[in-house]
Amino acid sequence: MGYTITEKILARAAGRDAVKAGDEIMAKPDFVLAYDFPGYTDVYFRQMKEEFGIDRVAEPERFGIFIDHMVPVATPKEEELHQGTRAWCAENGVELFERRGIGHQVAAEVGYATPGAFVVHFDGHISQLGTFGTLGIGMRRNVLEAFVREKVSIRVPHTVRVNLHGRLQPGVMARDVFHHMVRVLGPASCRFQVLELGGDGLEHLTTEGIQSITCLAMFTGALTAIVNPDKQRLDYALPRARKKLEPVYSDPDAEYTAVHDIDLSNLEPIVVVPPTPANTRNLSEYVGLHVQNGYLGSCASGRLEDMEIAARILKGRQVKSGFMLNVIPTSQEIMAEAARRGYVSTLVEAGAFVSSSSCDYCFGRIATMTEGQRAVSTGTLNVKGRMGSPDSEIYLCNAATVAASAIEGRIADPRKYL
Amino acid sequence: MTLKNLRGRVAFIFEEDDFDVDQIVGVKNIKIQDVDELASYAMKTYDPDFAKSVMPGDLIVGGHNFGYGHPHYPPMKALRHLGISGVIAESFSPGYWRGEISMGFPQASCPGIRELVSRWDGIEVDWQEGVVRNLTRGTELPFEPLARADAQMLEAGGLVPYLKQTPAS
Repeated sequence: MGYTITEKILARAAGRDAVKAGDEIMAKPDFVLAYDFPGYTDVYFRQMKEEFGIDRVAEPERFGIFIDHMVPVATPKEEELHQGTRAWCAENGVELFERRGIGHQVAAEVGYATPGAFVVHFDGHISQLGTFGTLGIGMRRNVLEAFVREKVSIRVPHTVRVNLHGRLQPGVMARDVFHHMVRVLGPASCRFQVLELGGDGLEHLTTEGIQSITCLAMFTGALTAIVNPDKQRLDYALPRARKKLEPVYSDPDAEYTAVHDIDLSNLEPIVVVPPTPANTRNLSEYVGLHVQNGYLGSCASGRLEDMEIAARILKGRQVKSGFMLNVIPTSQEIMAEAARRGYVSTLVEAGAFVSSSSCDYCFGRIATMTEGQRAVSTGTLNVKGRMGSPDSEIYLCNAATVAASAIEGRIADPRKYL
Repeated sequence: MTLKNLRGRVAFIFEEDDFDVDQIVGVKNIKIQDVDELASYAMKTYDPDFAKSVMPGDLIVGGHNFGYGHPHYPPMKALRHLGISGVIAESFSPGYWRGEISMGFPQASCPGIRELVSRWDGIEVDWQEGVVRNLTRGTELPFEPLARADAQMLEAGGLVPYLKQTPAS
């Protein structure tokens, strides 16, 4: 019986010849990532010193910190947090990425998405590094273990394999693929396991689209998602990689707890209705519902293909009066390219508010909604209160749907504008 | 295993699968720092008399994928403050599970638990035997064994003491 890509990565990280799903191991992460957030990094930094007597991390090149929340700051207290983060990084010789964009995306841009590497973070959306054959696991507070010692304790996860087939129709995007997966497999289908994507359908998705899917893996219950990297993704990741590692791949006879097949060719645009990411519906059931707020951005969607389709839909049209369309490219690198390609000017001329990359729109620190308001959003989550009042509502959908809905002030099917 | 068995009554059963624990205190209260105030909101929408009826050592029972969504820490802090000593659910969402185990909060994944118990039954979680017992009915069910690191973390009383006590490799 062969091994999954996850088993191979963890075997190397554990310094063993082989490990199998279910084994309890100590594995050394190649990279330890985090963004500064009150109650997380500030607490780790203090605990490292006070509880563990660590004044400097060993091997600082393994660590990377992002300032992507509370950007720009709105209060002196927020700035104080960032100041503490800058100081810690400087003292420890740890690289800091500030105002470069949303960390999970920037991590790929700056080479932490090293194919074959094992990466930990407290935040589960780091799973999107799986696009490049990197095993990225969000450990919540337990990531402290990776800050205070070399290895983390982990039970090697089992894997659920999902094979995608065929090609998406116009107006249907990678996000719809993920939400469809939650619908057919269930919000607990990959619980404590790895979601491994495969199949010929992957060839027709862009790297960015696959990042959208792997980013959201936690809403199937998965610890992370991973894909055996193809040439396109290796061409992106290898020249940027921070570490020389041999990419690894699942063996053809690797053991999976389940194998599912999904046909992309007949998917419709999807909307995920409040209050949980498990509520997948066909967009057609909600077309016409009044919405006041639109968010195109987040670590899940806000990349060039999202900007491109929104610009295509909004070109020569106007955002409905009273509708607030916020377009936030996922990173500065994406923002610059979107500007070069003219997407930014098109969106601005249509009435969109385009702003530099930040996590703040996704969790309601900026563009907060009040009671009774509704958003169409490409953010990660639609739980109550995520973007403001607990009595506001978030409808998750793809970037094209956000753009089309901005024109009408109601949930709209993007396909008629394409 | 030296983990002390949990013994108490079933203070509440969440029938809902994929339960978002933030609902325990309500999203608008999630940022309250004062634990007395936080606890005063706990379970209000489910049972207004909850705080009065609960006794130290009582347990909560949950459905499948308990803790799904984007769980925060305050709801369970509030329940602990009221005396809740652990959660037994059909199954747990990994992010929630990890977060609470790192707080040293005992939990057991026990398929079939909702069939085993009714509200206010006396139950026991026997870590050594790996079973949840219904002391009222005299029945029992096995629960899924804890991962070694999870068991050690619970024994230590949470993440920080665990990291101080256990060897690094």
